[in-house]
Amino acid sequence: MKFLLVSISLFSFIFGQVSFTGNVVSSIGESRNGYYFNESLINTQIQFGRFNNWLQFEFSDPPELGREYNGLRKLRLEYLNGPLQIKLGDMYEIWGRGLILNSLDDQTIDRDSGIRGIGIVYETDAFNIHFLSGQSDYSMSTIYSPGYNSRTPNYTTTHNLYGVHTEWQLDSHLGGLTFLQSKEAHPVNTFPEDTLDIKNRLLGAHYIYNNSLIDVYVEYVKNWSTLLNEENDGFTNYLDGRALYGNVNLYFSLFSLNLEYINYRFGTLDPLNRWNNVDNYGIIQHFQNPPISGVIGSTTLINRTSHQTDFNNEVGYKLEILGSIRDDFEYYGFISRSSRSNTWFINNEFEWEKEGQPAILPQTDPAASPYKAYYGEISGYLFDYTLHTQIGYSYSEDMIDLAYYSKTDSSKSMYYTYQSAKTIPLHTSFTFSNGWSIEAKIETQWLKKGIWRFEELNGNIIADSLISEFFDVNENPIGFQQNTFMSISVGKSPNWTMAFTLDKISTTEPSFGLDQKDDSSNSLESLLGLDMDQNWANIEFVYNVTSSFRLSLMYGSLKGGLLCANGVCRIIEPFENGFKMGITAAF
Amino acid sequence: MMKNLYLISFLFGLMLNAEPNKESTLPNLSFKLLDGSKISLDELLQDGPALIDFWATWCAPCKKEMIHLERFQQKYSKDGFKILAISTDTPRSMSKVKSYIRSKKYSFKVALDPNQQIAQKFNATLLPTAILINKNREIVWFHQGYIPGDEVEIEKQILAVLNNETTEDTSE
Repeated sequence: MKFLLVSISLFSFIFGQVSFTGNVVSSIGESRNGYYFNESLINTQIQFGRFNNWLQFEFSDPPELGREYNGLRKLRLEYLNGPLQIKLGDMYEIWGRGLILNSLDDQTIDRDSGIRGIGIVYETDAFNIHFLSGQSDYSMSTIYSPGYNSRTPNYTTTHNLYGVHTEWQLDSHLGGLTFLQSKEAHPVNTFPEDTLDIKNRLLGAHYIYNNSLIDVYVEYVKNWSTLLNEENDGFTNYLDGRALYGNVNLYFSLFSLNLEYINYRFGTLDPLNRWNNVDNYGIIQHFQNPPISGVIGSTTLINRTSHQTDFNNEVGYKLEILGSIRDDFEYYGFISRSSRSNTWFINNEFEWEKEGQPAILPQTDPAASPYKAYYGEISGYLFDYTLHTQIGYSYSEDMIDLAYYSKTDSSKSMYYTYQSAKTIPLHTSFTFSNGWSIEAKIETQWLKKGIWRFEELNGNIIADSLISEFFDVNENPIGFQQNTFMSISVGKSPNWTMAFTLDKISTTEPSFGLDQKDDSSNSLESLLGLDMDQNWANIEFVYNVTSSFRLSLMYGSLKGGLLCANGVCRIIEPFENGFKMGITAAF
Repeated sequence: MMKNLYLISFLFGLMLNAEPNKESTLPNLSFKLLDGSKISLDELLQDGPALIDFWATWCAPCKKEMIHLERFQQKYSKDGFKILAISTDTPRSMSKVKSYIRSKKYSFKVALDPNQQIAQKFNATLLPTAILINKNREIVWFHQGYIPGDEVEIEKQILAVLNNETTEDTSE
C-alpha cells in the first residue's frame, strides 16, 4: 500500500498537469441507548494526463453501520484514451438495468458490492464492450448466521468473477449480450463450519429501442449454479433459473405512461427459506441488483412501509403516469402489483410444496404473498413560484410471508404476516423575497400490521381476520396504529436551515430485536410534554460555512425501523436522546 | 474518543478554509445523454461556461432548483451559457427521468450517471450539487444542497463567470 501511495505521489510530480480534488464526509453521534458512532470518509481524486486516481480513506470507531475500519478503504487507477478505458482497483459497474451486474456502495444501508480487480472498456458511438475480472467480498447482517447484530455484519461471502458485456447500436435499435461467472466461497451453517465452492453463471440479452414517442427496454437472463463435488473434484448442477424485465415508456405532449414488468425466478425457495441466503445458494447474488416493480417511497412514512422485493421469485408490474397540467403544476401516480409466481402449501409430509404452473402476472391468492400499492400526488407553485405545495395519497397492502397453510378436501387453515397502510403526505413551503423560507411536512398514516388468520371448514369460513400486533395502554389489541411525522423548518438562503421534527405513533409496538427505548425522554420531549414511548423529537441545524462546506448538528431522538434505499431495505436501530454532527465538504 | 475528536477538529479546521480546487483543470470527461448520444466537457463549454447540476427524480429540492436552472438556461444561452443536469437515478428509477424532463419541457441537456461515477469525479456527495465551470474547464463555484432562495446566489455566480469571460475575451 505504501508503495502505491509513493508511486502515485511520484507520478504526480513527474507529470506537470496534475489536479488534486476531494471531499470529506464525516459524522459523529452518541445517544443514551448506547448508539455511538464516529466515521470519516475522505475521497481524493488525482488527475494526471490520461490517468485518474481515486482513493478513499475511512476512519471509523465504529461507523454508524458496518465494521470498524481505519485506513485506505478504496482505490482505483483509471486510464482513458479515446474509446479505451482501463480501470484497476475498486469498481462499481452497472450493466444494462442491473439484472446481472449492478454493484454499488451505499453507506446509508451498509451495502458495498464493489469489485476489486481490472476493468477494460472499449466504447464508440455504435459499439461498446466491457470486460471485468476481480474479487468481490460481500458482508451483511443476517439472522440466519450466528452473531447477528443489526449494525455490524456477521456473514461474508467471497466471489472471484469475470464477465463481458457488449452492445451494438443500429439507428434507434440497440442490442446487447452479457456473460458473468463467479466462483463463490459460501460459508454454511453446518457443524463443524464449512464453506462450499459454488460456480454461478449468468447469461443475458437485452434490446433497447428509443424514439421521441416510445422507449422500449427488454432484458432476459438465465442463471446456472453448480456445486463442487469433492469426491470427483468436479462441479455438479445445483440450481438454475431465469429472469425477465421489460419497460415501455409512452410519451404524449405533456405526460407519459411508464410500464415496468418483472418476472424473476433466479431461485424459487419455499416460504420458510425465502429470505435465508446462508443455507440457500446459487440464487440471486449480491452484485446483481435488478429493478423492482414497486416504488421506494420518497416520504418518511411511506418509505417505512416499502415492499421488500424477493429477487429470487417475484412477478409484478408497475404502471406510472407523470405529467404537467401547466408549467407550474405536475401530477404523478402509479399502480403496482406483485406476488410470488406460485402458491405454496404444506403437504401431507409436512413439507412446503408449490402448486400449479408459474404465473406470468401477479396473483391475489394470499398463498402467493401478493402485494399491491396505489399512489397519487399533485404538486405545484402559486404566487410566482413562491408557494410550493404537494399533497399525495398512498395505499399499500402486503401479505408478506406465508407462515402456515394446510388444506384437505374439507378444510383450509392459513396464517400469514400482513401489513397495510394508508398515508397522506402534505408538504408546503414558502419563500420570501429576502431569502428567508419556511417549510412544513406533515405525514399521517394508518397502519395495520400483524398475523392474518384464515380458517375454513366444510365451505364455512370460521376465521378471516387480523391478529393485530398493536396494543393500547391497557394492553388490549387495537386494529391500527396512527403514525404522524411532522417537520417544520426555517431557512435563510444561502447560509442555514433549522428544522424541528416529530415522529409520533399512537400505540406501543413490538421491538423485533431492536433496542428498546430507554426510560428517559430527551429535553425536547420533556419541554413539549410528550409521551416518551410514543414520540421521537429532534432539532437539526444545518449551516453552510462556505458553498462547499456544510455542517449539521442534531439533538434529540430518531425513530428506527425500516429504511429503504436503492431498492434494498434494512432495519435501523432507533437513536434515543443524543447528538449527531455531520460535515460534508469538497476541496 | 479523544482521538476521534481530534480528527473531527482537524477536519473542521481544514474544511473552514476549503474551497474547490479552482486552479485545477477538469479532464475532458464524456457524458451519456438521455437520447443515447454523448457529449464531452469541451463540447459543452465550446460557446461559454456551463453549470453542471447533479440531481435525481426522487430528490425534491433538486426539482425545486431545476425550475430556476431552466430559467437561467433560457436567459443566458445567448451568452453561450449552458446547463447540464446529470441524473444519478439508478436503474430503479431511471425510467422516470425522460418522462419528468419532457413533462416540464426543460430545454437543457440531461445526462445519466446511474452508478455515480461522474458524481464521484466531481466530488458531488450531496444532492443537488451545482458546479459552475468556465471555458477553460476550471471549477469556479461549487454549491451543495438547495435552500429556497439559493437561486439568487446561483444567478449571481453565473453572471460573475459570464462577465469574467467577456472581460478576458475583450482583453485578448
